[in-house]
Amino acid sequence: MTKPILEVRKLSKNYDDGRVEALRGVDLTIEAGEYLAISGPSGSGKSTLLQLLGGLDTPTSGDVLFQNESLGTTVSLDTYRSQHVGFIFQAFYLLPTLRALENVQVAMLALNRGAKHREEQAAALLCEMGLEHRMDHYPNELSAGERQRVAIARALANDPSILLADEPTGNLDSVNSHRIMEILIGIQKTRGMTLVVITHENEIAASAPRHIRIRDGQIEATVSPL
Amino acid sequence: MACQLSFTGFAWKNLWRRRLRTCLTLCGVGMAIGAFVGLVGFSSAFEHSWMQVYSSSGTDFAVIQGTFLNTSLDQSVVGKLQAMPEVDAVSPMIYNVMDLTPEVNALAYGWVASSYEFGSLQFVAGGRFHDGRPEVVIGELLAENLKKKPGDTMVIQGTPFKVAGVYHSSSALEADAVILPLDQLQILSSLQGKVSTIHVRLKPTPAGESPEQYLKRAQGKINAAFPGLRAVPAAERASNNQLVKMAHASAIGTSSIALLIGILGIANTMAMSVFERTREIGILRAMGWKQWQVLTLIQVEAAVLGLGGGFLGVLFGWLGLKVLAALPETETIVSASVPFPLLAEAVGLAVLAGLLAGAIPAWRGARLSPVEALRHD
Repeated sequence: MTKPILEVRKLSKNYDDGRVEALRGVDLTIEAGEYLAISGPSGSGKSTLLQLLGGLDTPTSGDVLFQNESLGTTVSLDTYRSQHVGFIFQAFYLLPTLRALENVQVAMLALNRGAKHREEQAAALLCEMGLEHRMDHYPNELSAGERQRVAIARALANDPSILLADEPTGNLDSVNSHRIMEILIGIQKTRGMTLVVITHENEIAASAPRHIRIRDGQIEATVSPL
Repeated sequence: MACQLSFTGFAWKNLWRRRLRTCLTLCGVGMAIGAFVGLVGFSSAFEHSWMQVYSSSGTDFAVIQGTFLNTSLDQSVVGKLQAMPEVDAVSPMIYNVMDLTPEVNALAYGWVASSYEFGSLQFVAGGRFHDGRPEVVIGELLAENLKKKPGDTMVIQGTPFKVAGVYHSSSALEADAVILPLDQLQILSSLQGKVSTIHVRLKPTPAGESPEQYLKRAQGKINAAFPGLRAVPAAERASNNQLVKMAHASAIGTSSIALLIGILGIANTMAMSVFERTREIGILRAMGWKQWQVLTLIQVEAAVLGLGGGFLGVLFGWLGLKVLAALPETETIVSASVPFPLLAEAVGLAVLAGLLAGAIPAWRGARLSPVEALRHD
């Protein structure tokens, strides 16, 4: 049995001075190398859960543990995000003034890696994404599918152990959605990464070995393959 | 195509995305620094002109009143000073600024006709005046300006004076001035029996003594012999006289205001830039950029604006001085060559201005919550 890479204990998150309870006492364990899908209606708290898992925010109460160490206490959130987590967003969030190759390199500036290494690593990742001929293009010159592939390359730039994808196919057509999920699952398997995907799409949720449904800030159900 | 992204390259791209705003900010800073270079350069040249007045005549000291408010001294001191063994020659004088026409005012000096300081002037027409007579000699710049020549009449404060001669001087403080007999200027200034200062030229340095030691010894002797008066070495006098101090003060004061406006320009640009890039900052933070890295990025952008504005300002200031150096009225005061320390100071000031201006926007940008920043439109 693999060790848990992420664990949340009685996790709660409130906004607006407690008027909005986005998460209410959630307990969840994610094994290293696992592929987990999280679904739920809008406002159910799934994005909030992902943000807390990724160290983008801090809980109101409860704990997020990474490899048994408390995020924000024992492990600094900045270090955690730069070294262990790669984010993929629905809106891609590429920097518009940077070419594709530069967008991937900008993540590596956080870790102060050498310029040559940054460029080579970024080029290799983009080639892996099938974008070897699109490296010099700006985001507005790329299709939606290409932009998301650049975003995936950027998320992998610092060799993270965890990939967190918030509706990665939300702005894509079905062909590109399928392709992106193939890439993510392929990366998860070949690199042994932990992959957590938030999705509205049943097909994507069903493809995951474990699927959690969230409603009103709590885990409503967990679906695992037999 | 190689495409390495460096930290400073990233900062530069952020500035270049809003080219017009960046260029306008650079121009604003450039004008502020240009004002600094031009004004401080001009006031330094003005100080240099004063030094030329002393050095061209061989003046070693200016003996002045020791008190701050009472600035004139008794003319009877002249004979006693002349009698000192170290002293070669003395030149009592008054100086003032006088209206020569409704449009023209000029420096007016009051000298005795036998003053050793006439030795530093070359007469291009006519000659010296006579003591006690309503006569003047004028610098060639002033003569050209007023279209006067020997034999013409000039009216100074209601009193007609005959132009006895036109002279050339290497210092604009004399070339654009009028020199009257001391007694005549004493009457016009209501300073009968008084002088503003007494210039002293020492005899050559005796053997066995260095020039500095001799100067110091002579200064000590004069100060001791005339309590209440001060013998100020020429170099110190050039930098410390009221006109030079006023020139320096206005240069620093005016360019400080200009610099403040430049700083506000950079601060506005950086504040707008941080606001517009709120989501991008959130993305950087999501990728693991630390707060100090975000702060450094914004500060680097501000410093680049300052540096660029500084270089532009040095160019503006140099061009301004070049124009002044070409004008007849200022060509003997101003040189277009700007000393390197002033250039370095100007650029350094500009970078500092950029860092100051960028501090608050950088701090605010670094403190943005990644989640809140990502939600920003």
